[in-house]
Amino acid sequence: MKDGNHSHANVLIPDVGLRVKALESLLAEKKVIDPAALDLIVETFETQMGPKNGAKVVAKAWVDPAYRKWLLEDGTAAIGSLGYIGVQGENMVALENTPEVHNVVVCTLCSCYPWPTLGLPPIWFKSAPYRARVVIDPRSVLKEFGLDIADDVEVRVWDSTAELRYLVLPMRPEGTEGLSEQELASLVTRDSMIGTGLAQSPSH
Amino acid sequence: MKMLTTAMVPTVLATGDPARVDIEVTPKFKAGDKVTVVNLNQIEHNRLPAYIRGKVGTVTADHGVFVFPDTSAHGKGPKPQHVYTVMFTARELWGEAGHPKDRMYVDAWDDYLDPAS
Amino acid sequence: MNGIHDLGGMHGFGPVVVEQDEPYFHEEWEGRMLAMMIACFAAGVYNVDRFRHPIEKMDPHHYLLASYYEKWLCTVEQNCIDAGIVTREEVDARHAQLMKEKAA
Repeated sequence: MKDGNHSHANVLIPDVGLRVKALESLLAEKKVIDPAALDLIVETFETQMGPKNGAKVVAKAWVDPAYRKWLLEDGTAAIGSLGYIGVQGENMVALENTPEVHNVVVCTLCSCYPWPTLGLPPIWFKSAPYRARVVIDPRSVLKEFGLDIADDVEVRVWDSTAELRYLVLPMRPEGTEGLSEQELASLVTRDSMIGTGLAQSPSH
Repeated sequence: MKMLTTAMVPTVLATGDPARVDIEVTPKFKAGDKVTVVNLNQIEHNRLPAYIRGKVGTVTADHGVFVFPDTSAHGKGPKPQHVYTVMFTARELWGEAGHPKDRMYVDAWDDYLDPAS
Repeated sequence: MNGIHDLGGMHGFGPVVVEQDEPYFHEEWEGRMLAMMIACFAAGVYNVDRFRHPIEKMDPHHYLLASYYEKWLCTVEQNCIDAGIVTREEVDARHAQLMKEKAA
């Protein structure tokens, strides 16, 4: 730290959970917030928002060429048709991975993330190492995630600086010809829709 | 001030804050245009990461008209303008450290971009 | 602003650390903070840009160490103070009271 006197303990807010509680109780007394509405928001996130939603979008795009085309042309409308649009997913763009192109998403300035399709972001997505390095050295970051990108593949890094939110459409794994849409969705990982992973193969 | 009630929660979560403005604004650029990013060093809020300032890129998409954060953050109105995706080569941004095949895509408002000379 | 939040391209932060089987919220207060952030937005306390700017203005040491939800607390509290809804002293006093009750 700058003068050698800072420790983590006196930089961070002490007992931060109690300060959140303090603010919540004051805002409730002043009728700015309703704690019952807060309960419902938490419950909605925990039960309805997560990568299972995005996985359904991807699986549908794998089996339905017309949907895939729509998704790539107008992500907001195509994702909205399945109901996964809303707060922090108001304007959606889908990015297609191919044998020639690998897409990966970051928000260097903040930690923006498509909540309705992927839920809340994992800690690593919000962390300084990821935000700092994936733009300047994406291949070494992807390697840490177990992805070895061949030299002749183009890596496209997308920094969501504005109000557009990005969802990677991973490649459909080989050996999945006979699988149902639901079975396919179970192969779609969160990281494959950020671009730091691939969809799982059925033998996984 | 309108307090959020439980009845309003589903609508608020399903609507969010689109930031998209439904008005006609003439775009300064179109897909394919070469642009130079302005060298902005204002102390107020903006969405222009330092690593693209002064760099030359190519507009790949026009996403339509959005509220402008630089004014919106400071009570100076929405100043609606087009948002584009701009593509930069990794070499343009990072020199020899950039992989020759790699590309960086960044979203930028009209005010952040000048025509590349 | 040229703040600590503008991390793209910086060196020296080390490897990306991935927590396996990360829970949705690590602590209950994180969920309350998320919900309070949305409720205050819906009540018109701030827009997305006014929400973000106080995070960018955080002390850089604090910014780098704080969890994302702690950053949210900083900006929601600051925005509520700026809007004249609460004072820093009120929040400090309630916080101190809750810590005292917990210690008792």
